[in-house]
This record gives sequence, C-alpha cells and structure tokens, in this order.
Amino acid sequence: MADLRDLPLVQASVADSATFGEAVSTLFAAQVPALAILAGERLVGILSEVDVLRAVFPGYLAELRHTAFVEDDPAALDERARAIRDRPVGELSRTVEVFDGDDSETHAAERFLHAGEQALPVVENGRFLGMLSISALCHARLDRAADEELS
Amino acid sequence: MELAAILIFVMALALIALEWVHRTKVALAGASLMVVIGVLDEDGAIAAIDWSTLGLLAGMMVIVGLTEPTGVFTFLALRVAQLSKGRPIALVFLLALVTGVLSAFLDNLTAILLVVPITLLIADLLRISPIPLVMVEIVASNIGGTATLIGDPPNIMIGTARPELSFIDFIVNLAPVAIVTLLVVTAGLALAFRSRLRVAPERAREVAALDAARDMREARYVGRTLAVLVGTIAAFFLHTLLHLEPAVVALTGATVMLLVAADDVESALERIEWSTLFFFLGLFVMVGGLEERGVIEDVAQRLADVTGGSTTAEALVILWGAAAGSAAVDNIPFTAAMIPVVDSLQGDEFNDALWWSLALGACFGGNATLIAAAANVAGTGILERSGQSISFLRFLAIGAPVTLVSLFIATGYLLLFQL
Repeated sequence: MADLRDLPLVQASVADSATFGEAVSTLFAAQVPALAILAGERLVGILSEVDVLRAVFPGYLAELRHTAFVEDDPAALDERARAIRDRPVGELSRTVEVFDGDDSETHAAERFLHAGEQALPVVENGRFLGMLSISALCHARLDRAADEELS
Repeated sequence: MELAAILIFVMALALIALEWVHRTKVALAGASLMVVIGVLDEDGAIAAIDWSTLGLLAGMMVIVGLTEPTGVFTFLALRVAQLSKGRPIALVFLLALVTGVLSAFLDNLTAILLVVPITLLIADLLRISPIPLVMVEIVASNIGGTATLIGDPPNIMIGTARPELSFIDFIVNLAPVAIVTLLVVTAGLALAFRSRLRVAPERAREVAALDAARDMREARYVGRTLAVLVGTIAAFFLHTLLHLEPAVVALTGATVMLLVAADDVESALERIEWSTLFFFLGLFVMVGGLEERGVIEDVAQRLADVTGGSTTAEALVILWGAAAGSAAVDNIPFTAAMIPVVDSLQGDEFNDALWWSLALGACFGGNATLIAAAANVAGTGILERSGQSISFLRFLAIGAPVTLVSLFIATGYLLLFQL
C-alpha cells in the first residue's frame, strides 16, 4: 500500500482573492471535482463542482425535487452568472476535512464514502500537496495491482 | 423538587426560544436531568410519554415522505400560480388556499416544506420577490393547520390527550373559525403586498405555458400513493366510527403505503424526522415532571383563582395566554405544558370549549413570531438557504398584527358559539 503523498495528486488550487470565474476556469482545466483555495500557502477551504453548481444556479433548486416542467430563462441565468462571476472565491470556499500525506489508501476510501466529497486536499506539515480525487485513488490502486501481477 | 422541576422547565423553554442549542438537545437534556435528580422516576418518565402523538407524527411523516416524490404537491402549487394569471391578489389567495388545505390534512410544517421551495421557483419565474408569498404561506399554514386534529402539533397533542375529541369534532368546532380567519388575514396580506407582487403579462404567460403535470406523469406509483393518502384522510374522518385512534389510522396508512408504494423500506423510513420525535419525547417527560411535583395543579389553581371559576374568563385567559406563550417560546412546548393545566382546570366535568380555546390560542399564536411555530422556522430557513432572509423584527411586523386579528376573531367565535 502507498501513502497518499505517493499518489497522483492534482495541483489544482487558486488564491482566495481570485474571482469565482477564474476559479471555475481552473477547476474545468484541472479536470478534478474540487480545487483548493489557498491564502498564501495555507489551505483555507475547497470549491467543489457542487459548490459551483449551487452558486451558478438558484439556491432554491436544492430544496426542489420536481423541475421537469421548468424551461430555461437565459436572461435570468445570465444575470445570476454575471452577479457571481467577479466575487472573490474566498467568500464561497468551504472548509472540509483534509488528508495527511502519510494517510493510507484505505482510510482515504472510507472518508470519501462517508464525507460525500469527490476530491479532498492532501496536506503535509500545513503545506498543500495537491487534490486527491476518488478516480485518482482507484486508478492508482488498479494500476498498482496490475504492476504486481506482471512482476 | 418542585422548584427544581420549575427551574429545569423554564430554563429549557428559554433555551428553546433563544435557539442557542438545538431544541431536541434541550428537551432531552431537561428530561434526563429531571429523571436523574429524581423529579420523577423511570416508570413515571415512561408513563409521561404520549406514544399516540409520536405514532401519529411518525405515520404522517412516512405518508407525506412517500407522497412527495409523486410531484402532486408541485403540481398543485404550480397550477394555482397558473390559475392566478399573474394577478397579485388571486395569486396570494390561491397560494394561501392550497397551503391552508395541505396544512389541515397533512400538517403545517410539512405543507411549508412542500410549498415554499416551489413558491421560490414560481416567484423567480414571475420575477417578483418570494418573501411576501412565503409569509402568506407561513401564516396560512398555521391558520389552516388549526382546522383539524392533524393540522398542527398543538392539535395533535390535544387530540391524543383527550380521546373524547374526535377528528370530526376538531373540524366542526375549529374549521369554520379557521376558514373565516384565513380569508380575513389573507385579504389583509394581499392588500398590503399587492404592489410588490405586480407581474409583467409576458411572465404570467410563460408560467401559464408550463406543463405542470409533467413530473407527475414521469413519477412512479402516483395512483396508488394518492389512493392511500385519500384513504387515510377518509379514515381520519371515520376514526370514531371505526373505533381507531388517529395514531392507528396514520400508522396503518403509512404501513399500507410502504407495502404498495415503496421500493426501499430503509429510504422510506428515512423520511421520519427523528429529531422532532425525540423533541416531543423530551417535552412529555419534562411536563410529566411538572405534573409529578404538583406544579401543573398549582398553575391550574392560580388560574382558577384569577378567573373566579368563570368558564368564559378561563377560556379567554387560555386563548390569549396560549397565544402569548406560544409567541414567546414555541407553541409545541407551551401546549405540552398547558394540556395538563386545562385538564386540571376543568376538573371532572369535560368542557370542550377550554380545549378549543387552547387549540386556537396555540395555533394562531404560532403566527406571532419567527420562533412561535416550527413551520415559521422551516419556511424562513428555506428562504435563507436560497439567499433571501426575513429578520425576527420583519417577521414580527407581519406576524403580530396577523395574530391580533386572528385572536379577535377567535374571541368573538368563542363568545358567540362556544361559551
């Protein structure tokens, strides 16, 4: 088994002063379900794809169960997007649990199952190492098993 | 021990009102403390719990939880928005009507949880502020819930504590005054809010064009779920003839719905709000402690002394006192404490007018402040999560006049028809 620091962590982060729009661009480019928000080198929180969804679309959607009848109102959605785009991402970040570099893969798997997050930050001595996603964790495990089989 | 019981209960009420700690934690801590220090023993604590109330609540939670995925409540709310054709007063009256009726036959908290989210969407589509509409719905839920035994937790507690009062008795004695109050109060709110609810004709046309029934067509088990819901409500009407307690009706309805409309029992039972049930459980034990130590008897005696034994005076003191108490703390714990007081006050001669006074006071008082009823907290909470908010004072500015008008109507009703 490898420690988490040895897994393919993604360097997906933005400064807390970055705009929400910049953070979403970084998130999209990094192809990871969440990115870290940093104040200097200190981790202050994360911004996940679900957080982005909640910010871009009306807040009451999370309370609804039935919306098949709704048709898009592009003007209203554009207005909302413009209002959120330039806000500092630090205002929208969320604190979550973090992994330590020497945590085990099994521990990470258990936390992913129970925390409801798709990606979480890995830190060591207060320093951000990178984001670990569920797919990265599982992909690394499958690769390692295949390597063991070949050797 | 009497002083300890009073101190624990008053402290618990204060903490519930201030919302510093979750109300379920407060109720359970107060109940535990009463048992641990010996205000009442274990057997007394178990005996103090009104299992019928808990059963009725749990049954209705399952029924509503399984009905919600059918989309029928969304259909109703959207349909009334379409029927209003963008006219503010029609919109307010129709939303109040739907919320009031849902509250009467489900319960007011559930009605709010069902209609407020769709109201936010409707307000968004109509490009108007959702706050006036949500306020109307909260007020309508508390008034509509007054009409039946299952409509509001105070009525559930009264109905299960006094089996002499049937589901039909509640409707016959409370529905007329609830309907009149709902009409008067809604008219006032519609006039007050009408300028903030003007809808552009093109927005109203867009909402009218939406296919309100689409979610219902795509949902599973719609027919059988609605059949069980209607059957359960019919059984409430007939529970005296059927010789079944309301709790048995609710739990049987829930069981039938689980059998015919739930694929996964585990997820269906997740609809039960355990924190609410434990809140009630803690309250029942605390009130049991007050009864055990004679506090309830003392309060009833003082009330009898103040009113000089006049039933009219007693009924009006209960009505206005219950409203004031509910406004200050929360109508659930206040009613839990008042039920044994009214029981003691009436002595051996059953007097239903005193119970209707308590129901009207507690339910109408639930509109006075943001913390007076669970529906208020839930409705304003949904607003807040969606980026809107109503402050305590803003709520009070609407809730207090609504409550005063409601209580004047209730006073007139009691004097003319009950006393």
